[in-house]
Amino acid sequence: MNDTEPAATPARVAAPSAPPVVQMQAITKLFPGLVANDAVDFDLRAGEVHALLGENGAGKSTLMNVLTGIYHAEAGQIMMNGQPVRFGSPESAIAAGIGMVHQHFKLVRAFTVAENIHLGWHETPKLVSPALLESRTAELAERFNLAVRPSARVEDLSAGEQQRVEILRVLARGARVLILDEPTAVLTPREAGELFKALRGFTARGYSVIFISHKLDEVMEISDRITVLRAGRNVATLPAASTNAVELATLMVGRELHPPQATGVGERKLGNIVLQLAGVAALDDRGLKALTDVDLALHEGEIVGVAGVAGNGQRELTEVLTGIRDVIEGQVRIGGHVMSGADPLAFLDAGIGHIPEDRLRSGLAPAMPVATNAVLREYRAAPIARGPFYLPAAAMALARRIVADSAVLVPSMRMPVRNLSGGNQQRLVARREMRVATRALVAAYPTRGLDVGAIETMLRYIVEMRDRGVAVLLISEELEDLIGIADRIVVLFKGRIIGGFTAAEADPERIGLLMGGRVAEADALATQPTVS
Amino acid sequence: MFRIQRIPSISPLAILSSRVIAVVSALVVGGIVYSLRGFDVFDLGANVIDSSFGSEFGVQDLGLLFSPLILTGLATAITLRIGLWNIGGEGQFYLGAVFATAIGLFVQGPDWLILILMFIGGFVGGMLWILVPALARAYLQTDEIITTLLLNFVAMLLVYFLCTGPWRDPHDTVTSATARVKAEMPYLFGDLHWGLIIALLLAVLVAAMLAYTKWGYEVRLAGSNRFAAFYAGVPVRRRLIQVMLLSGGVAGIGGMLEVAGTVHHLQGGMSNNFGYLGILVAVVAGGAPIAVPAAALLMAVILNGGIVLQSYGVSTYEVLALTGLILFFVAISEQLAYYRISRPPALKAGAGA
Ligand SMILES: Nc1ncnc2c1ncn2[C@@H]1O[C@H](COP(=O)(O)OP(=O)(O)OP(=O)(O)O)[C@@H](O)[C@H]1O
Ligand SMILES: [Mg+2]
Repeated sequence: MNDTEPAATPARVAAPSAPPVVQMQAITKLFPGLVANDAVDFDLRAGEVHALLGENGAGKSTLMNVLTGIYHAEAGQIMMNGQPVRFGSPESAIAAGIGMVHQHFKLVRAFTVAENIHLGWHETPKLVSPALLESRTAELAERFNLAVRPSARVEDLSAGEQQRVEILRVLARGARVLILDEPTAVLTPREAGELFKALRGFTARGYSVIFISHKLDEVMEISDRITVLRAGRNVATLPAASTNAVELATLMVGRELHPPQATGVGERKLGNIVLQLAGVAALDDRGLKALTDVDLALHEGEIVGVAGVAGNGQRELTEVLTGIRDVIEGQVRIGGHVMSGADPLAFLDAGIGHIPEDRLRSGLAPAMPVATNAVLREYRAAPIARGPFYLPAAAMALARRIVADSAVLVPSMRMPVRNLSGGNQQRLVARREMRVATRALVAAYPTRGLDVGAIETMLRYIVEMRDRGVAVLLISEELEDLIGIADRIVVLFKGRIIGGFTAAEADPERIGLLMGGRVAEADALATQPTVS
Repeated sequence: MFRIQRIPSISPLAILSSRVIAVVSALVVGGIVYSLRGFDVFDLGANVIDSSFGSEFGVQDLGLLFSPLILTGLATAITLRIGLWNIGGEGQFYLGAVFATAIGLFVQGPDWLILILMFIGGFVGGMLWILVPALARAYLQTDEIITTLLLNFVAMLLVYFLCTGPWRDPHDTVTSATARVKAEMPYLFGDLHWGLIIALLLAVLVAAMLAYTKWGYEVRLAGSNRFAAFYAGVPVRRRLIQVMLLSGGVAGIGGMLEVAGTVHHLQGGMSNNFGYLGILVAVVAGGAPIAVPAAALLMAVILNGGIVLQSYGVSTYEVLALTGLILFFVAISEQLAYYRISRPPALKAGAGA
């Protein structure tokens, strides 16, 4: 299934005679009721970044799990440097030089960075002390040019730092092939830039990278070749230089895409205030102040975008707005009524939906069936409940409906939700929350992990909700998306709201400066006469 | 070349068959060792089966071990559903017995009324004994494994104190026990009382509550991911406390039935380690209340069989070794059930592994 370039020919690379570092031939991987990979050919050359693209559930993560020995293919074979190989486990894959950083990080959250680096590694000395592990880790960090803090606990790290630890863990074990599954989904643009720099250094040494992402511009920037999967099949493998984002999107989806239009921005009359923060301060999980003096009002029928670099209080902001976190100062009001204490149920009853930023930790019970997770917000009332009773058949029916509405392919509602692809989990959570958000939706990075088509659909849904009179708070790092659909944009920096714009006056450059906390420069920009 | 592969989820049938295979393999291994020691294994086995199921007395003895094991097993299994371990079934069993005895000895009334009061008393006694660990768990995140375990020893000493001190039957000079509790559980046949039916019904009731009530949904959700449950609006703390209280109460009913149906007075050591064995029952049942009766029956046969074996000259240690072997195999099978051995498609020796 390779229209553009026969994968078996190791052509047009620096060393044409050398066989590919990795060659996967006609890989087929089946799950009950589903073909996740269908006779996929894929090859990786020395020193290249090879991107893997495809819609949610196309089989990207599965293909890489086959390569690293987590799954075993029903058919096909894998060669490394021309020799057939077969890995029984990720450990044997890494021993052969193939390491993977997963979509959902697999670090032990309660352990330090140094402990995580040394966990389950045969080179870890038999007798260890924290000091020894930390100095070894510092050495490794220096060697691979990845800044990590050896003594810090993983749970206290930002997503970008955790990812560097994951990468270091793999490189330390001698990986020559690095697989990154949606590495930039949780990174700030700056962190993504640092990652790309590290990757270039890596390929310069002749090592290779497989890079999975839904962000086409990134893919165009970093990769040498691109393979597109659709419904488990390889539909194309192309050199990045000879393609463009539009062609790639069309290949992935099988049709052309239209970006959502901003509808009626600016002209509309605002409704009543639905959800309001007045002088709110709140602490984070470590007891440090995460929000300070936040005033924010969400009106019926408006989308308020929150711009800001991740880790500036976004998590806490969504949590105080949905009753998960208590405030230490100020008030949270729903329709003028002051809410007391953390009580998620009261917020749910008031018609407030919540797409949390960390779906696997707080939005889903990964080990429980799809059906159980789908009814998480609606099990209290008919048709799922009758009096004190819970009706599994009704839960199943609702789950089928939500799954169908979110266009997710799920062979069985009894399957644990963790078996869904990352993007499909996100779709499920989003759809579930939109159903209960009759008055307000608090959405943290709702498009994270979604493919381009699904992002389009998601943004359209959000606009439709707004048009129905729902108040939406949209947290995103994609400034373009925010400016495209938000009626108002506020900027969050170090737990404070340091700027507010209407859609008409939103200027990416000014917002960008504010996101970095550079208020004075942003103000200077504002006073210049606008030429429009 | 064969490959071993871990699969992420398996069917209930696979779990069940893995248990059966485990028990059979343990018996085979144990049988080989016993025959090396010179026992006639098949003769022994036939005797165990015959004395457990072959006579009315055997079935009675089995039934009297079976019912308390269901209840203590259920007690631990319930807490496992919300991700906690009640290790204190032993203590709650004793407290249920203490409350039931107090009512039986000191309250006057028709037997049926006394029995109902004893039943309630047993439930309340067990609940009270786990109340402090439950509150400590919910509000202070104190490890319930330690607190419930420690209270076992306190309960044991309390029972010894009552039996040798204030409640001691002055007419009984041989054993330290209270006077006989007059009210008796009605009997199914022989010595086997209705406690067995109550225990079985409770197991079914608890399983149904977990599967078919909103409360049960919330408990399962909180047991699977506490953050998600809180996010969904489940009052997680309240559920933790309720589940622990229910668990203690169920173990307490075990103690009440033991007093009212089997022993008829309070006595030191009367728990027969049922509380601890219940933990094993819950583990063998994989934490599923509906599977507890089957696991409890297995345990009862093992215990009963052990008594029979001893009467045939097998030492206590050899009996214990066989018991341990069975549980060991079951525990391993639980993990092994997730692995499959498969033959790769034709391929020359791989470099991996
Ligand atoms: N362990 C599993 N059991 C059953 N089905 C699975 C399992 N793992 C993956 N799948 C299914 O295989 C398909 C491909 O999933 P995969 O995770 O490879 O998608 P993906 O391309 O990585 O998507 P995304 O962009 O959303 O991460 C999905 O439909 C998924 O539900
Ligand atoms: Mg994926």
